[in-house]
Amino acid sequence: MNGTTSELLKHSKKNNDSEYILEVKDLKKYFPIKAGFLQRTVGSIKAVDGLTFKVKKGETIGLVGESGCGKSTAGRTLIRLYEPTSGDIIFKGKNISKMNDGELRRTVRKDIQMVFQDPYASLNPRKTLKSILSEPMITHNLYSHKERKEKIQDLLDKVGFNPLFINRYPHEFSGGQRQRIGIARALALNPDMIIADEPVSALDVSIQAQIINLMEDLQDELDLTYVFISHDLSVVRHISDRVGVMYLGKIMEFAGKKDLYEEPLHPYTQALMSAVPVPKKKGVQVRERIILKGDLPSPANPPQGCVFHTRCPVATQMCSEQVPDFKEIRKEHFVACHLY
Amino acid sequence: MTALLELKNLKTHFKRKKVTIPAVDGVDLKIHKGETVALVGESGSGKSITSLSIMRLIPSPPGEIVDGEILFNGQDLARLSDNDMCKIRGNDISMIFQEPMTSLNPVLTIGEQIIEVLMYHQKLSKRAASLKAIEMLETVGFSRAKELIDDYPHRLSGGMRQRVMIAIAMSCNPKLLIADEPTTALDVTIQAQILDLMKELSKKYDTSILLITHDLGVVSEVADRVVVMYCGQVVEEASVDDLFEEPLHPYTIGLMGSIPSLEGDLDRLYSIEGTVPPPEHFPAGCRFSPRCPHAFDRCRNEAPVLREIGSRSVRCFLHDDKEATK
Repeated sequence: MNGTTSELLKHSKKNNDSEYILEVKDLKKYFPIKAGFLQRTVGSIKAVDGLTFKVKKGETIGLVGESGCGKSTAGRTLIRLYEPTSGDIIFKGKNISKMNDGELRRTVRKDIQMVFQDPYASLNPRKTLKSILSEPMITHNLYSHKERKEKIQDLLDKVGFNPLFINRYPHEFSGGQRQRIGIARALALNPDMIIADEPVSALDVSIQAQIINLMEDLQDELDLTYVFISHDLSVVRHISDRVGVMYLGKIMEFAGKKDLYEEPLHPYTQALMSAVPVPKKKGVQVRERIILKGDLPSPANPPQGCVFHTRCPVATQMCSEQVPDFKEIRKEHFVACHLY
Repeated sequence: MTALLELKNLKTHFKRKKVTIPAVDGVDLKIHKGETVALVGESGSGKSITSLSIMRLIPSPPGEIVDGEILFNGQDLARLSDNDMCKIRGNDISMIFQEPMTSLNPVLTIGEQIIEVLMYHQKLSKRAASLKAIEMLETVGFSRAKELIDDYPHRLSGGMRQRVMIAIAMSCNPKLLIADEPTTALDVTIQAQILDLMKELSKKYDTSILLITHDLGVVSEVADRVVVMYCGQVVEEASVDDLFEEPLHPYTIGLMGSIPSLEGDLDRLYSIEGTVPPPEHFPAGCRFSPRCPHAFDRCRNEAPVLREIGSRSVRCFLHDDKEATK
């Protein structure tokens, strides 16, 4: 009796807890494969196949994985740039997965913003910096003309830009500067959460460090929540609080960054970590490298059972038959593997 | 020990209208037999132009090797006729590129592309060449090489295409392999496979490798010696152990500090102020001085030279006195 009450209490506490800004439940996004003269749907690409995770306010969630694992699709589905096939996205207590466009625009669009990978392609080349930054405010009918001007100055100041650049076009800026513009644009509406899809992958290392530092400063200053999508494990470790490792549309392991990087449990995470070449340091032992055989299977036809079993060095018969559950092995450490 | 390849004061400039762009501006570099040398730098540092100059693949005009020597086995490649260069390219020196998707011909089968090289350089018959092609594909780790030679490149994944490129590059048993960002377009697990393969092949055939990359992690895995470039010049050169233990040039130090670590936690990344200047606006004096945290007056007025300090060299006034003590 005692046990059940405390259990209940714990449960209700969790439910009332508003510390989670975003909850994703079994999110799926399938893209149809069409073929033939009539363009019938003959199959589907399971780009995102059942994601479940929660994001606390003010933290950074990292999503890592190799190309084709569905991390970008996941990001775009979270912000409803893609319609989810099924599952729930609960943002600040509202289920946004089934909202229509108008409702979405009125309620949550300005609270979640996105920063894209390619700073060259994500800015309109025919607009000046000023109109790029004021466009989101105009769309959402925010602020008077004068306030907008002040706001733009403020934004430029935040991302470390000279206010004199305001009438320049994107081609006049370098890659790192363009990514700063992308971040300033995302901040224009005072969002609560920013989804950053490979924001530093196209940049040189020294510029990459500048942008990462900027994102961290802004997070402290504005109390932002980030979902940071990247293929670079070291960058993700640096910026994230908790990290999810994706493979073929599923999260294989999800844990606090310390747990995940110091003691990866899933064989895929272990292989991924060992594959990263690390600059030599004094006294650091060379790690044993696990080389995975073969390539990523096609998401149109993922393997039966555990999706990783075709490349897994420790796969058993069971792995090819049963899909492993995504279980909490330790506190806040989730793994989808039959080993545990 | 004489060097297999030696660049002496190589200058490759591009002329655009009346502006001259010094993309590579006085590069000295040595590669010994069997050695792997990494050429490191950010975009715009001139590392790719250096490698294309060695292969004499600079489009001319607008580009031109204006000065310097490229000594390969004692022969100056910079002054070789196009015909003679064709005999060396793909035979003694071969190259693999970053983008395995665009460097294979999409309308020829894998087999045809390897056989072509072998028939041209090794003067093999078609039959012998195709046997050798299968052997090469097996060497780079394809289990079904026999079927693969009739496949087209689009049927292969990125990692497999890069293997095919390596098979083509290694088919004539070159003395020098130039790899321009060979793993940048690949995922980490595939990158690990390709780096392993390159290490294995270079040992097996005693091939020297010039590896061009911006990834210091990759450098420390495969290279014996590292050359760091900035704005068309070599700023530091050292063995891989020396460099990672104690980088000397402020740019190298900055570059290493900018990489987030996989093992430890840092509060904040070190970042180098500003950006790489475009080649038409290289600053006077030391080219790194506008971004350098240690720059003093002399750096802004006078250009430092690449000085030898023991077994390594560095282009920085901060290390002038060190040389005197040696």
